[in-house]
Amino acid sequence: MQPSSEEMEGMASSHPALQLELPNGSGGAGHDDFFEQMMSGFAPTAWPLGLGNRSILGPKSLEESPDGEGLNYAAPYDGSSLLASRLRMHHPGASPADSSMLLQIGEQMLLHPPGAASGGEPGGFLRLPLSLGNGGSGVSTSGVFGDRSRGDVDPPFESPNPTEAEALYNDGFSTGSLPRAAPAPLHQQVLQHPQNYGAATPTGQAPASGAAGGGTAPPKPRVRARRGQATDPHSIAERLRRERIAERMKALQELVPNGNKTDKASMLDEIIDYVKFLQLQVKVLSMSRLGGAAAVAPLVADRSSESGGVGRSGGAGTPGSNNESLTAAEHQVAKLLEEDMGSAMQYLQGKGLCLMPISLASAISSATCRPQLPPGLNLRHSAAGDAPPSPSMSVLTVQSSNVGSADPDGGKDGGYAP
Amino acid sequence: MYRRSFKDTKSSLGSPNPNFSKPMVALRFLRALSLVRCSGPGARSPSYRARGIRRAAYACMAASAGPRRAWSRALLRKIRRRPGRGLRRPRAVIRRRRPVGGGDPLEVALRRLVPGGGCMEYCRLLEEAADYVKCLAMQVRLMQTIVDSASHVNSID
Repeated sequence: MQPSSEEMEGMASSHPALQLELPNGSGGAGHDDFFEQMMSGFAPTAWPLGLGNRSILGPKSLEESPDGEGLNYAAPYDGSSLLASRLRMHHPGASPADSSMLLQIGEQMLLHPPGAASGGEPGGFLRLPLSLGNGGSGVSTSGVFGDRSRGDVDPPFESPNPTEAEALYNDGFSTGSLPRAAPAPLHQQVLQHPQNYGAATPTGQAPASGAAGGGTAPPKPRVRARRGQATDPHSIAERLRRERIAERMKALQELVPNGNKTDKASMLDEIIDYVKFLQLQVKVLSMSRLGGAAAVAPLVADRSSESGGVGRSGGAGTPGSNNESLTAAEHQVAKLLEEDMGSAMQYLQGKGLCLMPISLASAISSATCRPQLPPGLNLRHSAAGDAPPSPSMSVLTVQSSNVGSADPDGGKDGGYAP
Repeated sequence: MYRRSFKDTKSSLGSPNPNFSKPMVALRFLRALSLVRCSGPGARSPSYRARGIRRAAYACMAASAGPRRAWSRALLRKIRRRPGRGLRRPRAVIRRRRPVGGGDPLEVALRRLVPGGGCMEYCRLLEEAADYVKCLAMQVRLMQTIVDSASHVNSID
């Protein structure tokens, strides 16, 4: 701890008040009061989770590193200048030992490796007190903490003395009571330091007010802003949100077929279309099972815009104006058949249709012999089992007279041939 | 009448969250189907039965997805509300957490499609949509299988 003590001495020289504490962790009498105050104030009020057994003001830390304590429980200083000076001292030339010393105090709360960044450790301390202010202000220091235990750290902060909290806030190392006027300039100085603190916009609110207010700590996980990136907590939250959205979009992309679109808008389009398609399939399947021909008609009318449309029923009351959709469907099926038989079958079956040999179709139609369909098409909706489509399908039956639609068994047969 | 049976079915098969276990969905669905058919093949119009089947499909899909999903809860609520229950539960549910501004037409369309998507955040909406799509696809495959097997049984030889 040699360098640290040197540092401390250096710092102490700037502030006579500090010199008192430097030699020993307990400091003078005044500081004893402090410590007692601290320990009484803090130790019982558990800093349970975030700090564990490593509360800054815990007695343990006192014992372990008196120097550190001396530094941390620095005398009551007044003003942000102290903090500024300390930061400056620590920040640029923070030696690893220094960092480690500081780390001892706050390691529980900070998940950053020791000596990770020169400004990291002092900043770590800053984070601790900053969180105090965050209780009330809610947003200002949201971006500061990089660890997720911050949520645990917050509540304990609110319970202790506001003055102590203030002190902690203002001075990363001490808990001296500070005038409340200090925080404002302090904020700015804190913020000046490199952005890896992720310090928030200087809020005029005193951190004490925040701590005193005892606002609920926002449980959002804090993301430590990287150097050079926006440190505004709003933007951090925005970034988080965007990342989550991107994650979900990726998951959706895998689900939806043809999800190779890079554009978010077109991906959304695909998703919407796919959902509509699935819902339509459910509808069609539920209808086809019953062979409810009449029910299919409104479906066809609705979906005439859809490519191909649904095979229309030849039952009573069928609108006879769906030839266009049917021809479109035929064309589509023909196209599909050329490329891939399986997909064509699936397409048809998806619509409740099936392919049947012409002979069978004519046989059935002649059996029922109910001329309801307009000439030119023999399209029947499949309900009950038709003969499984065979590759040797042939011609579209263009029958005018015996275009029977209704099947003897009450369902509709769909015979569809290109 | 079969609506009540739906509920019985669901409660009897009540498993906490057999998320996407196809056999479970199939079981429920078949039970529901049989109930639908029992209600009278000739009693109602085919369209009515078709609607009943569709409702059964959605109901068992939602039931098997589990109450943990917002869409499944919303779907079940929508289904059960149809019978026109006059007695609404006094339990107050905060429905509109965040009224949607509705700037993006795509987003609005998606909200309308996914059940219960009116009062969700965008992030949540995407999550629910993914789950809904997965479940829907499974349901469709299931129904297709049923239809296929039924049609094969009746195949004319």
